[in-house]
Amino acid sequence: MNFSFWSGYKASYFSSLWMTLKLSLVSILFATLLGVLLYFLKTSRLGYKKIRPLSLLASAFIEVMRCVPMLLLMIIVYSGSKIALGFNFTSFQAAVIAIVMNASVYICEVVRAGIEAVDRGQMEAARSLGMSRRKAMWLVVMPQAVKNILPAIGNEFVGVIKNSSMASVIGVAELLFTSKNISGATFLPLEPLLVAAAFYFVLTFTLGRLMLWVERRYKVSDNR
Amino acid sequence: MITVKDLYKSFGENGVLKGISETVEKGEVVVVIGPSGSGKSTFLRCLNLLEQPTSGTIVFEGQEITGKRFDEDKLREKMGMVFQQFNLFPHKTVLQNVTMAPIKVKGQKPEAARKRGLELLEMVGLSDKADSYPNSLSGGQKQRVAIARALAMDPDVMLFDEPTSALDPEMVGEVLAVMKQLAQEGTTMVVVTHEMGFAREMGDRILFMDDGVIVEQGSPEELFGNPQNPRTVDFLSKVL
Repeated sequence: MNFSFWSGYKASYFSSLWMTLKLSLVSILFATLLGVLLYFLKTSRLGYKKIRPLSLLASAFIEVMRCVPMLLLMIIVYSGSKIALGFNFTSFQAAVIAIVMNASVYICEVVRAGIEAVDRGQMEAARSLGMSRRKAMWLVVMPQAVKNILPAIGNEFVGVIKNSSMASVIGVAELLFTSKNISGATFLPLEPLLVAAAFYFVLTFTLGRLMLWVERRYKVSDNR
Repeated sequence: MITVKDLYKSFGENGVLKGISETVEKGEVVVVIGPSGSGKSTFLRCLNLLEQPTSGTIVFEGQEITGKRFDEDKLREKMGMVFQQFNLFPHKTVLQNVTMAPIKVKGQKPEAARKRGLELLEMVGLSDKADSYPNSLSGGQKQRVAIARALAMDPDVMLFDEPTSALDPEMVGEVLAVMKQLAQEGTTMVVVTHEMGFAREMGDRILFMDDGVIVEQGSPEELFGNPQNPRTVDFLSKVL
């Protein structure tokens, strides 16, 4: 193994690490927001009789996103935006959009499971005290649901970091893209990629630990 | 205060309430007894619309609450409910459990709600637990907090849905003591229970329900002393 290339390419690695981090954080933020929004759309009762357009729309989106490979989605968003929307997304924007569309669907599912795991009696007790459905949701159900959601959503976040490597295909200069370039420039097939793998490990492992810590803080009321 | 007329409730094909007509007067303690699955709890839950009646009318303080577009939330502010499973909010302290609805629903000032909350906790004998979390309390303590929580909204009626059924036997007494105190203070109460001692001692009127209807009703002396309907006789012979 020959890692002597490291000193020469250190700066490229760190700038691509920053790109991966940026891509992941922005995607996680928007995917979470969209995931929660999707849940509320899906459970919305707005509509007439059995026809609930918002709920229907959300369900359709979820089903489609579940069935389209993310890499394909990313390429479609990147190269199709000019034809469909009349302007080009930058490769970064296209990557974020594709990751958000894909991850939000799974986050929506995690949010749903977490909320439905809260005992039904909690909603009833809150309603019996005169709270509206919305107040009961935000003041009583959601704070408890967060505890159920956290462990599972951490996995989704880790997934987003790993999936961000697909953005290399549309030319985002993130970790995988850069290390492949370095591999080509140095004629080393393996070592530059191992460095990238190590960086991914550090990112995801740190995030995993961080989520555990947040989880523990939320459990305070269980232990007293 | 509450007038129920021809109340029916079914879950799908399964009829649970089959025509109930009943009146609860102000200050009255009405105790509902009967075998499991007779519809007692469903009847109680229809009163504050936690279950939507399939048909029939309920009039509360002169207003028909079963009509369309009725503001359920306003109704429930005036009807306190205590559940079999307590349903305390586990992420809030005991005092926060009690003050949450007055602050968030009625818009009381936190200071005023806190003062009232502490009074209520004092009344149920749990002032020292104000800052504990529900998970550290015993079942009896939890249920007393739940009663204080419902009382904090100053309801006109208190509904009790088998408040002692989930408790260890030695904790039943402490909860019943609080309920007795409420009854003596003239609180209007509808109580679904299996505690025949409480029914006999505190009930102004006993309703015996079986198979979705009120089979027999009367004062505790009449119902326990001289039941008329064979089903009542049969039930009482099993539980007394």
